Amino acid sequence: MDRVLNSFIVSLRGAGVPVSVSESIDAAQALALCGYGERRVVKSSLGATLAKSAAEKEIFDDCFERFFTFESLKSPMPQGRASGEDEMPSDMPPIGGMILEGDMGGVALAVRDAARASDLQSIRYFTQRGMFTARILQALELDRLDRYVADLYREGSAGAEGTARQLEQGRDALIDMVRRFVEEQYAVFARESTERIIERYLQDVRLTELEERHYERMHMLIRKLVKRMNERFSRRRRRAKRGALDFKRTLRAGMPHGGLLFETRWKKKRVNRPDVVILCDVSRSMSTVVRFCLLMLYGLNEVVARIRSFVFCSSLVEVSHVFDGTPIAEAVERLRTGEGLDIHMGRTDYGSAFWDFTHRHLEAVTGKTTVIILGDARSNYGDPAEELLQKIGERSRRLIWLNPETPPMWGTGDSEMKRYMHHCDLVMECNTLRHLERLVGVLVRIP
Amino acid sequence: MTDRDGTFKSVDGVREGLKGVGYICNTEIATTVYLAFHLEKPVLIEGPAGVGKTELAKKAAAFMNVPLIRLQCYEGLDESKALYEWKYGKQLLYTQLLRDKLDRIVSRDSDLGESIRTLHQYEDIFYSPQFLEPRPLLRALQEEQGAVLLIDEVDKADEEFEAFLLEILSDFQVSIPEIGTVRSQTRPYVFLTSNSTRELSEALKRRCLHLFIPCPQPELERAIVRYHVPGIPDRLERQLVAFIHEIRKLELKKTPSISETIDWARALILLHAEGLDRDLTRKTLNTFLKFEEDIRQVDEKLMLLVDRTLKETA
Repeated sequence: MDRVLNSFIVSLRGAGVPVSVSESIDAAQALALCGYGERRVVKSSLGATLAKSAAEKEIFDDCFERFFTFESLKSPMPQGRASGEDEMPSDMPPIGGMILEGDMGGVALAVRDAARASDLQSIRYFTQRGMFTARILQALELDRLDRYVADLYREGSAGAEGTARQLEQGRDALIDMVRRFVEEQYAVFARESTERIIERYLQDVRLTELEERHYERMHMLIRKLVKRMNERFSRRRRRAKRGALDFKRTLRAGMPHGGLLFETRWKKKRVNRPDVVILCDVSRSMSTVVRFCLLMLYGLNEVVARIRSFVFCSSLVEVSHVFDGTPIAEAVERLRTGEGLDIHMGRTDYGSAFWDFTHRHLEAVTGKTTVIILGDARSNYGDPAEELLQKIGERSRRLIWLNPETPPMWGTGDSEMKRYMHHCDLVMECNTLRHLERLVGVLVRIP
Repeated sequence: MTDRDGTFKSVDGVREGLKGVGYICNTEIATTVYLAFHLEKPVLIEGPAGVGKTELAKKAAAFMNVPLIRLQCYEGLDESKALYEWKYGKQLLYTQLLRDKLDRIVSRDSDLGESIRTLHQYEDIFYSPQFLEPRPLLRALQEEQGAVLLIDEVDKADEEFEAFLLEILSDFQVSIPEIGTVRSQTRPYVFLTSNSTRELSEALKRRCLHLFIPCPQPELERAIVRYHVPGIPDRLERQLVAFIHEIRKLELKKTPSISETIDWARALILLHAEGLDRDLTRKTLNTFLKFEEDIRQVDEKLMLLVDRTLKETA
């Protein structure tokens, strides 16, 4: 296959478009059909064969524009002498000759060849930039050029010194140019790989240890996750369970045929849209986890779940209304700080929070409701009010407790987790994005 | 298909051909159709509602002068609706009618074993092509002169159905256990459309050429409006398209696409409008905005939008 096409496909893959072998064959065939004559036709035929979604098309456009333009190679070089006064000395590397002659095209070509020789396409991480720059410069025999310049200075004659100075200028411009070229190729081939590493890291990092500067990216990740979840769960509430015959309905369907069982009916598995009541501990120890958990749940609110939420610290209030009409991120921020809410932000007291809930809002919990409690169960040695939690648990369909602490920490110090967990249907550790993702799976399937 | 080869010589030929049957398109669309014809690959078309995805398939069929066979996808669509089904009623009716004959045939036999053997000779009768009800996919394969198969809104179908489609799209043959394998004489041209309500599987996308049709550029849209609404005053047409493009910049629940633009143009022609003004626009907002909130939002900014449009096109 064509080397240009091949290298373009490598760059697309680097940017995160998964191009399969069969697709690259299609692309080659398409090019053979349409030819390279018209840029727009080339672009659309490659686009049709290589990029297979709107998002990929965007990446493709970006890559195409960057790949098929080479701005950096038009960089200014010191003007060479118009006439060849001296003869080219024999031990000067070819690149030196090009610099002296001001042959920019030649230099650009040499850089390109050197880049190919040092396999610049395989650049993936920004830390590799220095290494590749050095490799390319070496392939251009920069060290030989340096030695030659030094020799010229040693010679001491006026003409030699002039040449040396010119070569030195050219050398600096060359280094600059190679550096820029590597930078650009890095952008073409590797930008996305680095991004992906950060994303993968963020999925597993503890939310409590997340650095402030990653928040923005985390929001983006959650948005992506929510979108995926919505796609997966919203469309099909009923999923045919192949193989299990629903005999009653089959009989009924056979009635028009005089009782002959022509049409079969199968049992369905329901994917439900749960009613969720969520109780959130918003004390300081919990703040980051709460932030991301709420962000996630409310993303699902529209399609997958119906949510009523309550937050508590020393006392408990309902906050569902905060989300109506406020952008999610802003609403979450308000909840975290308790701003404008009738909530007492003193010592965390699970006992009194449960008391508030059972006495004021118990009607929110029905046999269809999943209650999620998000908290570390650290109640400052107050009355844990276990029996109230038991009451909530009995009334609900399911009671899920999400604890951001790791299981070994449960029950140590003022943590009441060991006592509470007996009343829950499910207790999960929840402090990474992966845990959150698993939670959604648990929510929408009837056990 | 030798008769059509001439029109498929070049990308421009395709564009002109499509224009001839009333589909005005850009290079990208023409290139994809051209490639689909030569590489014999299905085309997956995505894009917002109303930009002419389904229309492209219809017009391609008209252009190639082959029948269009359409399969509308929905949740729960299965093979019996898409591929073929036995005509149960007919089978049942025939067995009832032929009961006497069957009795006579069987009565000659001495024992049960022999009767079964006798019946075995006849069993294929009720599972023959006469009792087969072909559904769109099978019909497309059977069409001798080739056809355009439009699989509309494939994202609404279940994943299982998508997997089943893969098989057909790669081999263009199906096996019906009782009859045998049906292979297509001429490969149908397949267009799939999707509104991206869910991600389609990688495998399906890999087999298709992908075409994303966005809302068109102003010049293209003007050409389309001119084509569909002949006799529209030049000034009105320019203002109308500019206004629609202004509206697309707003954050609406449903941004108007080409079909809405055309509807609006037709409505304005009926009202004998020569140019756009605020009052007229307000009265006809509901022809291209389909949500109460959208109408309210545009109404609030109407003065600004109309003024900007008029200034732009002045």
